[in-house]
Amino acid sequence: MNDIVLYIGIAAAVLGVGFFIWSRISTKKTLDRVEELIDKAIEGDTFQESFSEERTSRLETKLTEYLRASGVSALNVKNERDKIKTLIADISHQTKTPIANLVLHGELLKESDLNPEQEECVDALLRESDKLRFLIDALVKLSRLENGILSLTPAKESVSSIVTEVASEMRGKADKKGLYIKTDLPEEDVKASFDRKWTTEALINIVDNAVKYTQSGGITLGIKNYEMFACITVKDTGIGIAEEDIPKIFGRFNRLESSRNEEGVGIGLYLAREIVKLEGGYMKVSSKPGEGSEFAVFLKKE
Amino acid sequence: MNILEAKGLKKIYGEGENKVNALRGVDLEVKKGEFVAIVGTSGSGKSTLLHMLGGLDRPTEGEVIVEQKDISKLKDEELTIFRRRKIGFIFQAFNLVPVLNVYENIVLPIELDGAKIDKEFVEEIINTLGLSEKKEALPNQLSGGQQQRVAIARALAFRPAIILADEPTGNLDSKTGQDVLSLLKVSAEKFSQTIVMITHNDEIAQLADRIIRIEDGHIVSKVEGR
Repeated sequence: MNDIVLYIGIAAAVLGVGFFIWSRISTKKTLDRVEELIDKAIEGDTFQESFSEERTSRLETKLTEYLRASGVSALNVKNERDKIKTLIADISHQTKTPIANLVLHGELLKESDLNPEQEECVDALLRESDKLRFLIDALVKLSRLENGILSLTPAKESVSSIVTEVASEMRGKADKKGLYIKTDLPEEDVKASFDRKWTTEALINIVDNAVKYTQSGGITLGIKNYEMFACITVKDTGIGIAEEDIPKIFGRFNRLESSRNEEGVGIGLYLAREIVKLEGGYMKVSSKPGEGSEFAVFLKKE
Repeated sequence: MNILEAKGLKKIYGEGENKVNALRGVDLEVKKGEFVAIVGTSGSGKSTLLHMLGGLDRPTEGEVIVEQKDISKLKDEELTIFRRRKIGFIFQAFNLVPVLNVYENIVLPIELDGAKIDKEFVEEIINTLGLSEKKEALPNQLSGGQQQRVAIARALAFRPAIILADEPTGNLDSKTGQDVLSLLKVSAEKFSQTIVMITHNDEIAQLADRIIRIEDGHIVSKVEGR
């Protein structure tokens, strides 16, 4: 009699332990599955909804519903991107003609007899049209870069050659202001990995900025060669930037008090920095008011 | 959105005659994704400030708020787990575990937390920091610069809320230091990582989006961010 009780007791204990272990394993499996779903959601992945009576199936359905509502799924992102792409193309395309007409008529007007006041007006009109064209151009480029519509194609290129190229391209503008543009390049040809066209554009924006804010003296372009990065330096003898203003100069449309007199829209440096960032590099500035500034563009070598 | 905030931080060491006022009421705000440099001379309080921000030490007065959570109120055990999950550290002395290879050192914080390793992400970090050839190497087989790069990878791998760097190039020569800093900067950008770095060197600080100057336990300049 006692034996039977003993056996029942042992069987119950074994069953109890067995149930306990099974329950733990089952819970772990469910939690693992839930974690997997959330991980996929974080990555923006869509996941296959399974349709079963399991609790996790209900969870999948709810999660899918939530994602759809909050618009984070990859499909939503793609749709948004396509909308932006169309908008950008429209803006770029449709504004070309009106602006070209503005410039055309402005120039025609300039050719007729005008009194000094009228001439000043026309000059202002032409200047602003130019700014507008530059602005739209820069914004379109930026938008395309930021939304991955255009991408940079970095390749092994000669840093020395784009520095020389930009220096000669900007020399005309600098000459008009009586400023020099010098290059101080190392003997060996320094190479790095970057997109030639876009990086040249970024560098032009930086040198353009330097020319704008330098009244006397000039600009020196140099190259510093490190092991994993190559650095292009643009040093000017201009008005300099106060430390608290340095973070702001890269801001989108930001213009400092000290620069109010100059023509510009405040997007050149922002675009330059975005380009360099997308190439896996970065920019830094050192400057003191009244002592000029040095912009440094770091490009990856690999 | 501020990922880090400090309000009225004060820290006093010692008592009576030996009392040291390391921090005298510091306020600070850091937005997600920013790279902030805290610059000060030796004894200015910058290291103390960093220890407060990372939960390595408790302030005498004031609050440290990370991801909207006041960490100065956490118990010791909670603080340890908080640090492990939310804060990445990069020290001047690289502090790699000598018996683990590069890969193992990098994933150590993740494994300690019992979390799953995102292999692709870790590979990407290793590539960005130029360490792909050295995954199996031991710390004593690496140069100083390489070791610090491993330390940076380790801090990035578990995607902490903030990375705190204390004079990261202090033990490196200037050329290597520049490369290491450049890598820190570009990988922070790439992985949208918030970084707070302390240094006494202005040139190093220029890499940051924003510079905060500290002197004698006080913030002496408030430079606005991007």
